[in-house]
Amino acid sequence: MNESTPADSNSNDALPLERESPEAPVTGKVRLEAAWGSTEGDEDLTVNQKPKTKNEGHVFEQQYKPWNGQLNPRWMRNWSILRHHLLGIFKKGHRPWGVPIRLYLLVVFVASLTDVGMTLISGLVGDSGFHSVWGVSRDNLYAHVLGFLPRNMLYYPVVAALLVGGVISEDRQHGTSAMYFSRPISRFDYVSMKFISVALIQALIIHVTLGLYYLAEIITMGRGWAWIIDTLPMFLATVVSGFLLIFTYTSIGLSLSSVSKGKFFPGIALLSIILGTKVLAFIVSNLFDREILYLISPYDCLAHVGQAIIGTQPTYDQYSWTWSLASLAAMNALALYVLSTRVSSMEVTRE
Amino acid sequence: MDDDLIIKTSNLTKSYGPHIALRNLNISVPKGATGLLGPNGAGKSTFLKTILGLIQATEGEGYVMGLDIRTQGDAIRSRIGYMPEYDSLNPDMEAIHQVRYSGELLGMNPTIALARAHETLQYVGLGEQRYRNIGSYSTGMKQATKLACALIHDPELIIADEPSNGLDITARDYMIQTLTNTVKNGNRSVLMASHLMDDVERVCDNFILLHKGKLAAQGRIEDLKGFDREIEIHVWGGASRLVEAMTKIGLKVRREGRVMRILHEQEDTTSLILGCAAEVGAQVRRMHEYEASLEDLFLSIMENLGYEVKSSEDLLASPIQARKVDAPESMGGGSA
Repeated sequence: MNESTPADSNSNDALPLERESPEAPVTGKVRLEAAWGSTEGDEDLTVNQKPKTKNEGHVFEQQYKPWNGQLNPRWMRNWSILRHHLLGIFKKGHRPWGVPIRLYLLVVFVASLTDVGMTLISGLVGDSGFHSVWGVSRDNLYAHVLGFLPRNMLYYPVVAALLVGGVISEDRQHGTSAMYFSRPISRFDYVSMKFISVALIQALIIHVTLGLYYLAEIITMGRGWAWIIDTLPMFLATVVSGFLLIFTYTSIGLSLSSVSKGKFFPGIALLSIILGTKVLAFIVSNLFDREILYLISPYDCLAHVGQAIIGTQPTYDQYSWTWSLASLAAMNALALYVLSTRVSSMEVTRE
Repeated sequence: MDDDLIIKTSNLTKSYGPHIALRNLNISVPKGATGLLGPNGAGKSTFLKTILGLIQATEGEGYVMGLDIRTQGDAIRSRIGYMPEYDSLNPDMEAIHQVRYSGELLGMNPTIALARAHETLQYVGLGEQRYRNIGSYSTGMKQATKLACALIHDPELIIADEPSNGLDITARDYMIQTLTNTVKNGNRSVLMASHLMDDVERVCDNFILLHKGKLAAQGRIEDLKGFDREIEIHVWGGASRLVEAMTKIGLKVRREGRVMRILHEQEDTTSLILGCAAEVGAQVRRMHEYEASLEDLFLSIMENLGYEVKSSEDLLASPIQARKVDAPESMGGGSA
């Protein structure tokens, strides 16, 4: 046994002498001499005496440690906000998204791959009728992003509501806004990085699955350049429709989050605005045969613009799609105005 | 800007419409520890926001570490560590990651920020607790975490807003010790806003007193405490004669019954008092040096000296007014 026990160290305290070199034979003579002082050669022995060390355990000593590193510029600070929110979906140590939110995102992501799976199956089965139902077409591309049930009712609005709920309101609730604004982060950087973070998570679900859907069609059906060139405009139009949807839901959602200190109100208010206005417009349309109220519904305006740019059969025929586009622009402008006003008035020293 | 000054403002004014939050502040904060004092609504928070470059001053100018608060807010905030009074931590995050993120927000590389977060949490005494969720922390631990967030990039100036707020005695002592250590051993400057005079006295060498947006006083705490030193005696028999005798030889005396306070201006004040007592036959049964608390002094400045700008030199130059600080009205105190 090489390590000494406390008892050993006590006995060593009484015998603080060591042999001159490790190679010297252990005869016991040195110990005997030290114990009894039987010779006159104590000076030689004391030369090798080690300073007495006492094991006192670890004692905390507060010691300020300076840091001489360089701080990175603005893009790195912005990247850290983006990274914090995005990586929080996947791992610990970043923004703590709730487990139900993460689970729902996973469910929606998998569910959004339904058309990808069905396209692959139709390719494997080789049934043209089956493929005409699930394969890439104008209607199916539109449905992937703006289809009423389930995607644009159960999936994307709920995802947006869950994501925007706490993004700004929690900073107000916990006072973490002070952590941002007492650092060289401008209000614009703060809000734009949060906006992009939420938008990217939605894009991960909407656009990544859309891209996979298009890719599955190419791979499964062996589509060539001619088909790609033919269908690329409507695919890109669908991508644009997706961006419009994400931008609109995020701007309205974040503006609601900026006026609240909780998660529930922004989430439920966003759903109410998206689905409530749609229901109201639908009722009015059926009762009075007037579609004008669709202009106050973000859902309907997005659907109308989407139908126009993707080229599917329009379901709104009493007014031009440009009115819906103008209405969307007005909604977004109002939401961004509220958002910027609220964020610019967020306190640093107290909230 | 003088190299020894870390903050300097000239006629700094901030108004919100008709309400003037800061009025013509001429403040010079030297390196080291400075206490920012004042009652609620005095303008402390507005002052902090202004020097952080977060709000624009209406008039005047200011420099923090030589940087202009009007145009170089980002650079100032890069070199300052700010510890807010209120909660500024996400309760669902572990302290280590919260502190790391606060470093990343300054532009630190994530790996370096994590290493530095370990160091700062160790420094503030949370070494073994750093992987716990902040929501499970006590108030003292949360305050320590906020301080770690402020220290992560080793700033030249730490602004601590009520650092000992809500802490028990042990935690408060530790916080004060940590701030003191940061100033003394870390050679950093601290601007500490607090209501607790005792804390300021323990950490700071200098003070700034704001009241109603104006600078009420600034200077060295030691000067402030030194200007009002008195000797208190308890007299038995011949008290009036003793007052007369002491006044006659030029001592400044305040009296309430048998208790008298004599301004301790000269080295031989004690001998003079005892000489007078022997001369008039009065018994001095108790004699000790009386030192007004810092709190008394600040109250006196606000209540008796008005709200005009006062440096500690000004205060020293007006000891007669200042002496009336904590004296009851019957002793000539009250209004100066």
